[in-house]
Amino acid sequence: MASTPALKIDSGILQYVPKGQFYEASDAQFTAVMSMWKHLFKFDRTLFSLITLLGGTGFSKGAMNHMLLANSQTGTGTDLVPSALPEEFEKNIIRYNLEKLSEERFARAIKNLMMLAGGEGFVKVNNARTRKLILEFIFSRDNKNLDSLAVNFKTKLRKLVRHALGKQTIHKIVNGDEDLFQKWIGRYNRLALPVVEHLFDKQPQLRAKATGNFPLIRQYWYMKKAAAEGNVENFKKYMKGMPQRTVIGFRNSFKVPIALSEIYEKSTMSDRESLQSEAAVKRSGAKAVEINYKKHDVYDLWKSFYFKVLSGDPENVDKIAEAIDYVSSKAEKISLGECVVIIDASRSMVGSDERKLHPFLTSLSVLSILDDVKEVIYVGGKTVETPIGRNVVIPMNHTDLWKGLIRAVKTKVPNIIVLSDGYENAVKGMFKHAYDYFKNNGRVFNLIHMNPVFSAEAKSGTARMLTPDVKPLPLSDYRHIETELIFNRILENKEMVKALLVNKYQKLLGGIKDVTI
Amino acid sequence: MSLFDQLGFSGIGIGPVQSEDEMTVIPIVGSTRGDVARPQNLQFQRTTSYGTMVFENKDNDHEAIIPSNFMVRGRGAQDHAMAGSGVVRKGQSRSFTNACCVEESQGGLLRGAEKQDVLPVELRKVLLDTSIRSEDRYSKLWGKISGWLRGLNVGSGGRAHIGDFYDTPAIGDALENFAAAFEPVQNQIGAVIMFNGVPVGIEIMPSAEHWEVYWKYLIRGCYGAELVRLKMLGKIRPSALVLPNIPEGSDDNKVEEIMDSFASHIQQELLPLLEGIQIKSQTSLDQTGSMRTTLLRTDSDGGGDLVQQGDEPVYLSLVL
Repeated sequence: MASTPALKIDSGILQYVPKGQFYEASDAQFTAVMSMWKHLFKFDRTLFSLITLLGGTGFSKGAMNHMLLANSQTGTGTDLVPSALPEEFEKNIIRYNLEKLSEERFARAIKNLMMLAGGEGFVKVNNARTRKLILEFIFSRDNKNLDSLAVNFKTKLRKLVRHALGKQTIHKIVNGDEDLFQKWIGRYNRLALPVVEHLFDKQPQLRAKATGNFPLIRQYWYMKKAAAEGNVENFKKYMKGMPQRTVIGFRNSFKVPIALSEIYEKSTMSDRESLQSEAAVKRSGAKAVEINYKKHDVYDLWKSFYFKVLSGDPENVDKIAEAIDYVSSKAEKISLGECVVIIDASRSMVGSDERKLHPFLTSLSVLSILDDVKEVIYVGGKTVETPIGRNVVIPMNHTDLWKGLIRAVKTKVPNIIVLSDGYENAVKGMFKHAYDYFKNNGRVFNLIHMNPVFSAEAKSGTARMLTPDVKPLPLSDYRHIETELIFNRILENKEMVKALLVNKYQKLLGGIKDVTI
Repeated sequence: MSLFDQLGFSGIGIGPVQSEDEMTVIPIVGSTRGDVARPQNLQFQRTTSYGTMVFENKDNDHEAIIPSNFMVRGRGAQDHAMAGSGVVRKGQSRSFTNACCVEESQGGLLRGAEKQDVLPVELRKVLLDTSIRSEDRYSKLWGKISGWLRGLNVGSGGRAHIGDFYDTPAIGDALENFAAAFEPVQNQIGAVIMFNGVPVGIEIMPSAEHWEVYWKYLIRGCYGAELVRLKMLGKIRPSALVLPNIPEGSDDNKVEEIMDSFASHIQQELLPLLEGIQIKSQTSLDQTGSMRTTLLRTDSDGGGDLVQQGDEPVYLSLVL
């Protein structure tokens, strides 16, 4: 799986998440990944843009799209645009990535737009393409959707619109300049003036005629009024169905005397938020909201499961365990052939404080989508009994991965998958020593090393390797295994990469309307 | 008689040996020793003047131990390090007026710590001299720091800024690497640290919880820093443990047996090196509450602090 010498990148460029690992400040990783982004961009801009169609983290795609938008596309023709693609392909990709992300994780999509306004340390970019991208994304949607968006993401939308249009234009629009409104916003939604007023803290007309299309915005302003007046009864009336973050924000800012438990019960949360805030809801004394665990992602379920086990909270642990089994059984499986899986459960797999347990949870999630697993071997770790009597392994102790390798080789199963951060210490080099011996003495097996911890100091690419023969697949998200496999295969041949990605483009975007950005 | 027996450390064991290039760490495992404040209850507060570090112990029932040569760093203020270990009484604050400034041309007093570490081995050795250690002279380490940094091509003009070393990006990465390569094991309370098979330090904390909090400062800031420096200066021969020979034709079980045997015997091979370390002298330094601090000197010209609670040793930090 050697990469082209001139193209020193790996799929870590699509998987970077700006959170520190167990041992590295995230800025070191960022520098490493940024260097790969720049390298690929300079190497082949077309390839750079097409690659963003593969599965990856929202942050990576946002950063890569930021790079595309910050650099104008100066040429056309076959040198830049492969014959099978329209000239607008780059714009379509940017828009597609944003829309796709917004379907999966809306908040991340907004953050990616915020990168253009200087968010997350990126350089501000403001040009015709970014302006249209921002305004179209916000306003080109039905009123119900826009209403909800404007209440849920008020501050961020305000920043984005201000970035796109500038203070002067905003001032004029909010103060009644019809022409400017039509030119920039009305073209996407002719009724959206109350939304703009709301975003810029000008109370819209609350008459049904004026804000009837935006009931949440109306409710927001009534709730704000009640909070400012200390009218608890009205506050309670208007908080029903409002986003929980907004209600808690008003409660805290205006010191509204109302129990958090009541807010948890009456306001709304997304499915993901409800799982994430389960413990906070419980602490507040609110009636527990019934959570349908089976609707959740397996990673989130493992996370919830482990946090309950580690904090000694037995509630719903059985339901979560059942849901993990259910979701795993229903998951679309990835087949790498008959395999043995070695899971590194040493201490470093706890990950950083910012993403506690992430490497280990990613490993467990990978396990739930792998097909034809003959045996699972844990190396390191400590077995603890859960409140439901099921034993689980928690990351602890040193790393003697060589023991797992020998056990795996003894099974004679042809594929050995190692899920490890690549830091072997007991004793360093013993994994490679055993591996070399087996390979040089007639044992036939295929070793695949998936690394859920990125490392800026990795000898090559973004993940630390266990043996030079086996390039690790960096994996920040279990859902990206396919990307990894494609990436590692196609990097050997740039033209094949392009052909594959052009096909992917046509499959994903071929049918969608080509919107000018 | 082993060093641990000489000092009365009973009930301790040895964990699996861990190594990364020239550094080897032998974990020391055992149960909690004495009644010492939990590490979370001990906080560095501020420097009230150059050379004075103030710590607060929020535990109202137990005395707290500050690890030897604990170092705090921050922006816009002079970084400081303790001249030795320290004990803070239950529920009280204590000022240590013999601390060392480790950034000679930086003004300003610290309020809280942005970064924490432990001084590198060679600088710690300087402070084994009681006349230097006890002296209330904040600049007492500057000359030694300049010397320690000499030849590394970091910072500017030979100034005594320890941060010039830690904050150099390439060095910072190398140090993080050391921290990454070693993992605390269950019930670990300390470690023997070796460079190229030669013991350079022995650290024992009162509990696994204390080790959990302080191990990174020791492995990265103290021992890792010293090793990185020695490598940069070409003063240490690159080496790694020699792994066992596996005869051709060995079956899987034989391979397992050879590797297992190597891993379990490696500590037996390394531990006798500790037998040669003898305590040359003991100097009583401080009695605070139930804790007595003694400065030990070894025949290898090393030494460090032993803290006992009553007759029970609860903390040991030796640089060799």
